[in-house]
Amino acid sequence: MKMKRELGLFDAVMLGLSGAIGFEIFVLLDHAYFNLAKSGIVLALLLGGLINTLIMLSYSELCAAIPEIGGEYTYIKVAYGGFVAFISGCLRWLASVAGAALAALAFAKQLLYLFSKVAPAVEVFVSAQMPLIAIIVIVILVALDVIGVKKIGTIIVISFLAIFAFFLVSGFWHGLTPIEVLPKPLHEGLLGVFSATAYMFPMFFGMRAIVAGASQIKNPDKNVPKGILLSALLVIPLYFSIAYVTVGVISHEDVGSPLLNFAAEKIMGLPGGVLFAIAGMVASISALGTSIAVQSSIARGMSRDGYLPKILLSVHKRFGTPYVAIIAGSLLIVFLSVIGPIEFLAYAGSFGSILVFALINLSLLKLREKRPYLKRPFKTPLYPLTPVAGFVMSMVLLVFPIFLGDVNAVSGLMSGLGLVALALITYHLRMIGRHRLRVAVGGISLSIGVFAGLWAYLFDTEFVPLIIPSIPLYVLILVCIVSILAGILNISARTPKIF
Amino acid sequence: MRTRRILAVIVGIAQGAIGVFAVVFAYILFFDFPLQLFILIVFGFFSIISGLFLLTERPSP
Repeated sequence: MKMKRELGLFDAVMLGLSGAIGFEIFVLLDHAYFNLAKSGIVLALLLGGLINTLIMLSYSELCAAIPEIGGEYTYIKVAYGGFVAFISGCLRWLASVAGAALAALAFAKQLLYLFSKVAPAVEVFVSAQMPLIAIIVIVILVALDVIGVKKIGTIIVISFLAIFAFFLVSGFWHGLTPIEVLPKPLHEGLLGVFSATAYMFPMFFGMRAIVAGASQIKNPDKNVPKGILLSALLVIPLYFSIAYVTVGVISHEDVGSPLLNFAAEKIMGLPGGVLFAIAGMVASISALGTSIAVQSSIARGMSRDGYLPKILLSVHKRFGTPYVAIIAGSLLIVFLSVIGPIEFLAYAGSFGSILVFALINLSLLKLREKRPYLKRPFKTPLYPLTPVAGFVMSMVLLVFPIFLGDVNAVSGLMSGLGLVALALITYHLRMIGRHRLRVAVGGISLSIGVFAGLWAYLFDTEFVPLIIPSIPLYVLILVCIVSILAGILNISARTPKIF
Repeated sequence: MRTRRILAVIVGIAQGAIGVFAVVFAYILFFDFPLQLFILIVFGFFSIISGLFLLTERPSP
């Protein structure tokens, strides 16, 4: 059934803002401020907003030209085919899973802050049980997603805008310490600012929600690009001023964590800090529910296209929800929320999405060349400078935190690249097919068996190079016999009839 | 075909077990020797996959 187009430009902008303004601002400022850029986070957010606008220009053109469901997965598929689209799907999935784990930990962190203020007696207990709290929140949200409870995004974003407006007005009224937006010398130099931008970039990601909701927007040729660009531009002064006020009211001596709660407490007293803690928890819960649903939808999309097992498409008989995909991804979310520090999860999510953004810019360049006559209701200005700049800046954001030597950034990038490697193997194994793969594994098994036999013979004749570890003869003979038998059985398996 | 099926199950279980033992022993014995660790883990995984293929073999119609 086709969805009705009921949303106007205002709703489109709200959709983009509700996607962007979320729990990230409550949790990501800390590491960026304390370890990467200090007051340079103000400049870092400004830079992030500008880079995001460059990328959103590419999104706008592609979304208006290819108004089909699937978002970036579809654009990349049209430009580069299934293989690259599959990689992008895996990266988006990684970003959603890491984002969900981050949201669960952000909830636990805000809860800890709340207890430290209203019930200090249980603070130590809550502090020790943060992973458990994150797991409980994930399990509850998974249950809600399986049952099929809808979220209330627009109400949350309006509440946030009101809270932030109150924070900004109070902050300016309170009187700010004159801060240097461009301190000289910059803490860790421009490297620190770029690293902070990369780390805080998830604060902008959610804007893509417009692309996902494009099928419900009236007059999409005009409203979708306008909505994307307006929300991208509106977020810049909002984040810039929040960071400016936050950095302006705190002093380096008495600064506490979470940074935003601390600033709110300094401006509005204890009620301010508590209000921000509650807002942070609500945002985290909302984002966690959305991320769980998004990761399951990406996994189902790839399963539908034959890249992942079909079992992920299973729908619950009673609730009509994709419970297998939800639960499968949620197990990884639980695992990540237990093992992963906030900084690692933020980088993993950020790098996953930044790589997709780089591919989006490349897709735009490719489609302009490959399909010059495609109807484009919106054209990116200053082509090809804009997508080229978007691509280059995405790469810069990937590389700078590594140069700064941030261990979490290296782990985050390695997780992303590891997933890409795994995706490559999965893709090729799917393309090879079960039977051919079995014959190949049989061949390897046979070779191992022959090698083990030769090794056993060398042991028997006591002609063994020292570099070969000593393994008992009977083990080698067992491995030799079993591997040769397994090889013969696998190679001689009958080819199943395809037609 | 019945003999083949029985043989496939026995060899599949043996090879899968060898693969699991190879991975476990690789970690225990060669944790500080990356090359040996890598070779044994690759061998272990191939053995496990090969064993699984034999265990999940369906009788041809």
